Amino acid sequence: MRGYRLPGMRVRRDRAARSEKPKDGRKTMLRLFAYFRRESLIAAGLFGAVLAVVVCSVTVPGLQSLAIDRIAAGRFDSLPYVLAVMLGVYGINCICTFFQSLLSARLSQRVVKRMREELFEKITNLPISYTDNHPHGDIMSRMTNDVENISNTVSQSLSSMFSGILMIAGTVFMMIYYCPALAALSCITVVMTLGITKLLASALRRSYTKRQALLGTLNAKTEETITGFKTVTAYNRQKQTILDFEKTSDELTKTGIIAEILAGSMGPCMNVINNTGFVIIAAFGGYFAIKGIISIGVISAFIVYAKQFGRPIDELAQIYGQIQGAIAGAERVFEVMDGKDEDKSGSRSMEGLDGVIEFKNVNFSYYPGKQVLYDFSLKIDAGKKVALVGATGSGKTTVVNLLMRFYDTDSGEILIDGVNIKDIDCRSLRRNTAIVLQDAVLFSDTIENNLKYSNPRADDEAVEKAAKMSNCRNMIAHMPRGYKTFLTGAGQNISQGQKQLLTICRAFLAEPEILVLDEATSSVDTRTEKNIQNAMVRLMNDRTSLIIAHRLSTIRDADIIVVMDKGRISEMGSHESLMEKKGTYYRLYMTQFAGKTT
Amino acid sequence: MLEYLKKYWLWAALAPLFMCGEVFMDLLQPRLMKTIVDEGVLGLSNGGVGDLGLISTTGAKMIGLVAVGGFCGVMSGVFANLCSQNFGNDLRKAAFRNTLALSPGQTDRFSTGSIITRITNDITQVQQLVTQCIRGFVRTGMLIVGGIVCMLSLDLSFGAVIACSLPFILFCVIYFIGRANPMFGILQQKLDNVNSVMQENITGARVVKAYVREDYENARFGKANNELVDTQLNILVLFSYMTPIMNILLNASVVAVIFLGGIRVRGGGLTPGAVMAAITYITQILNAVMRMTMIFQTISRGTASGRRVMELLECSPAITDGDFEGETRLKGKVEFKNVSFGYGKTDILKNISFTVNPGETIGILGETGCGKTSLVQLIPRFYDVREGAVLVDGVDVRDYKLEALRDKVSLSLQKSELFNTTIKENILWGRQDASDEDVAKAAEIARAKDFIENSPDGFDTLVAEKGMSLSGGQKQRIAVSRSILKGAEILIFDDCTGALDLKTEAELYERLNKAEKNMTKIIIAQRIASVKSADRIAVIDGGRLAAFDSHERLLETSEIYRDIYNSQLKAG
Repeated sequence: MRGYRLPGMRVRRDRAARSEKPKDGRKTMLRLFAYFRRESLIAAGLFGAVLAVVVCSVTVPGLQSLAIDRIAAGRFDSLPYVLAVMLGVYGINCICTFFQSLLSARLSQRVVKRMREELFEKITNLPISYTDNHPHGDIMSRMTNDVENISNTVSQSLSSMFSGILMIAGTVFMMIYYCPALAALSCITVVMTLGITKLLASALRRSYTKRQALLGTLNAKTEETITGFKTVTAYNRQKQTILDFEKTSDELTKTGIIAEILAGSMGPCMNVINNTGFVIIAAFGGYFAIKGIISIGVISAFIVYAKQFGRPIDELAQIYGQIQGAIAGAERVFEVMDGKDEDKSGSRSMEGLDGVIEFKNVNFSYYPGKQVLYDFSLKIDAGKKVALVGATGSGKTTVVNLLMRFYDTDSGEILIDGVNIKDIDCRSLRRNTAIVLQDAVLFSDTIENNLKYSNPRADDEAVEKAAKMSNCRNMIAHMPRGYKTFLTGAGQNISQGQKQLLTICRAFLAEPEILVLDEATSSVDTRTEKNIQNAMVRLMNDRTSLIIAHRLSTIRDADIIVVMDKGRISEMGSHESLMEKKGTYYRLYMTQFAGKTT
Repeated sequence: MLEYLKKYWLWAALAPLFMCGEVFMDLLQPRLMKTIVDEGVLGLSNGGVGDLGLISTTGAKMIGLVAVGGFCGVMSGVFANLCSQNFGNDLRKAAFRNTLALSPGQTDRFSTGSIITRITNDITQVQQLVTQCIRGFVRTGMLIVGGIVCMLSLDLSFGAVIACSLPFILFCVIYFIGRANPMFGILQQKLDNVNSVMQENITGARVVKAYVREDYENARFGKANNELVDTQLNILVLFSYMTPIMNILLNASVVAVIFLGGIRVRGGGLTPGAVMAAITYITQILNAVMRMTMIFQTISRGTASGRRVMELLECSPAITDGDFEGETRLKGKVEFKNVSFGYGKTDILKNISFTVNPGETIGILGETGCGKTSLVQLIPRFYDVREGAVLVDGVDVRDYKLEALRDKVSLSLQKSELFNTTIKENILWGRQDASDEDVAKAAEIARAKDFIENSPDGFDTLVAEKGMSLSGGQKQRIAVSRSILKGAEILIFDDCTGALDLKTEAELYERLNKAEKNMTKIIIAQRIASVKSADRIAVIDGGRLAAFDSHERLLETSEIYRDIYNSQLKAG
């Protein structure tokens, strides 16, 4: 029942736990507001409905008072008419309430939908460096939690704040109209409500924040222990782990008891205030009635008014915190939206190019001051294969990142057939360059759609051919539903090796001019590895290929082997010539493949 | 479950008692107001002359009752929370303790995620169930029953209003909640869809860009987003119907009370004050009915959670201690005797027999899924064999006290499980009382010292949650340091150096051999180069031991081994 509350039920005060404050609330608020301006028609309708509801709610107690007065005065004949009018107003109230919640639902959902769409589009347009530099969990939380938070606030708080303010104004007006003195006395409860809320809320917020933190620790500890279960068992750490857990658990309970008692007191306290208001109205109302200032009916109307008056005040106090949290969330969402888009200014097409790649004095660093590539120059002729070898961190992957324009060079340039890649249309560049990454990325979709990902226009024949070339035809045929088999959770239902084969098949289907391979297959068994290897050899045929090579056979078959060391090319040449040289490559070869230290 | 509650029976009894007090005070208020109106203002028994004194004394009485009611309410909260939170704490501790006593086979069956939700989320639900039962349920129940009694005592004819409106309200609430509940399930599913598209786009950003599929992804997201919004709107529309309908039922009841009351007052059987009191009562009753349905939801959710927690609590450990304390003359001998083993119906390991002598280094090779990991996990008795026996130092592992057995074995897993604390603390898991020098030495052997010392805080650098800030190779090396520090007689590496480049790996093994000569080492690997220098290599194929000999001999005798060798080290 998230986000929904039946009328009249006690509200849990968990929300007070959110104590986040936005940095620049005004600016964010205005920007959020712009989203509503585009829905001005719905917003206007909502405003109308709210207004009607408030008017009805304010009139009804007056009618009730009239009815009671008729009873007290013994004028029973006109009672049915008053009651009929009352029912009529109730009816209108109902219909308007219906429209109010309908419109507010529609409004909030439209706004949230657009916001989510814009955010997603933004994320696909942000450069790779954004996803590389920001924790994925953080981006996800902005797209889910923050947008959800904004959504909830927009859908509930906004219209209740709106109607709350109107309701207070209307009720105060009516109370003053009936009896200014009693109205003033009723305000005592308001002061009490505000006082108690303020008093309890700050204490409550503190203990809730503490409890939340402890709960987080407890959950993290549980998760860690259970996922690392075998390690805990293998190292006989059960006792310490349990003690540690129990300490946190006890602490959580202590804080939890305080927090919940405080929260639990809120209900009775409000009850006391409400009942005090009831007493004030009954006693002073009675006094005024004897004096003849008001009628008995007015007392009964005031009882209803006091309730109508107290509820929005109580609510507004909570909504305030909620809105602050939502604005802080919106701030984080807008921060993503304000990120700089990828530079896609190039316009030249790559169609008809041969695929000669040239790196000219390229320097590059991911972070200022931590240079990764130094003066990197390399020319690859069309149709040739180049293998990049070197230790982890020597800059192999960076070369690939630059060629695909996932990142741009700091200085120097990369040319394809003599054209700077910055001048080539980014889409054309990438469409003509296929990559096979070490982490086989697949999508939760059918095998067929996953393969066609690289080339949506490919027909069945082409898919079949690519599957054959990449040695995955057999494997796909063995899947329960062949090409229509659905890969769940990014391909969790197939093995790592099978995934890799599918990504190779996908690259085949792209029919690229240039091929980039990161061929690590560390967790794949020998037979599958052989399949992958053969498929890769076929894929590289007649294509300009850049390979981050780990396997001897690929390295030996390459036209040029580039040995990288700390961001520089230390050696370059064919396998034979480099072996003869007995330099870095030779040493690397001996340790890597003979498994010896030197 | 009740047993855990027994300890706190006093609190569990006091909470509803005080709650009764609060409700009682709530129900008295309208009655006193009736006195004020009828006697104080209208002076019905006084011939129409009001009585100011009565108004002020009744007012004071009301204030007093309100204070008493508030006190009762707060006390009820205090006791309910003391009871439920302490109960929850006991339950949580018991569940955690019991989980740690289970065998890996059992935790696998529950699945990690499910155990975590049971210990965290489900227990919170059960806790709330207890609070709701001893507080919310009592409150609403009392309000309904008490309110009806009070109303009927004012005038029996009001019973008709209650009899008409109550079923309607009940029906509506049940109908709407019944309609909405399945929709919440669908909503969750749609939300998952949207999240999964996002997740895929973030982790697969390179592929999306490389194949220029941004537009396609936007369309895919748009579809998922639309479905989500539509479902959400459906639910909101349903509730848009619900609120006004509930309101009109409530309002109609109020009108009915006034109408009926009017007739009765005219007949002289009722006073205007009583009508006013009746209006308050009917509002209280109907609100309580609506709240009651909410409480039922909490209760049904809580019972489901309770059942899930009980499942965990009632699961008795499948693998229990033997009697043997672990003192043996032999140190580091492992023997597999006709071992068969499987997780499900089929055997993964079939009739495996071999012996590893103290101080020997053994390599284990084989395809993924051939049972290598299962084989070594039988040694610290994570699982029990189906047939045959595993002997450590000549004693069946089932005869050992578990702690004694696991002290003899040090295991490094394929997936390095590091904990969210400093690097040093993580390595210290191996041996709690180890000195800083020992830790540094272990890290040195594992080729981890250099990068640790280059980290911002050296050995005190925090390993972020799930080791996110470290690379795969670094995590593996920390895990290896930990297992080396343990100094157990049998060291098992389950493919735990696969993320290292071969040079680093080769150095690691060389240092390890020099430093820990007497340890028996069992090394699972994918790459032949990793195990080539082992004393003997076991080749597992299809769950059977295909060959077991030194590298040189295997090259001559084993065809499978030659195949692997050729595919990895020769041109393919």
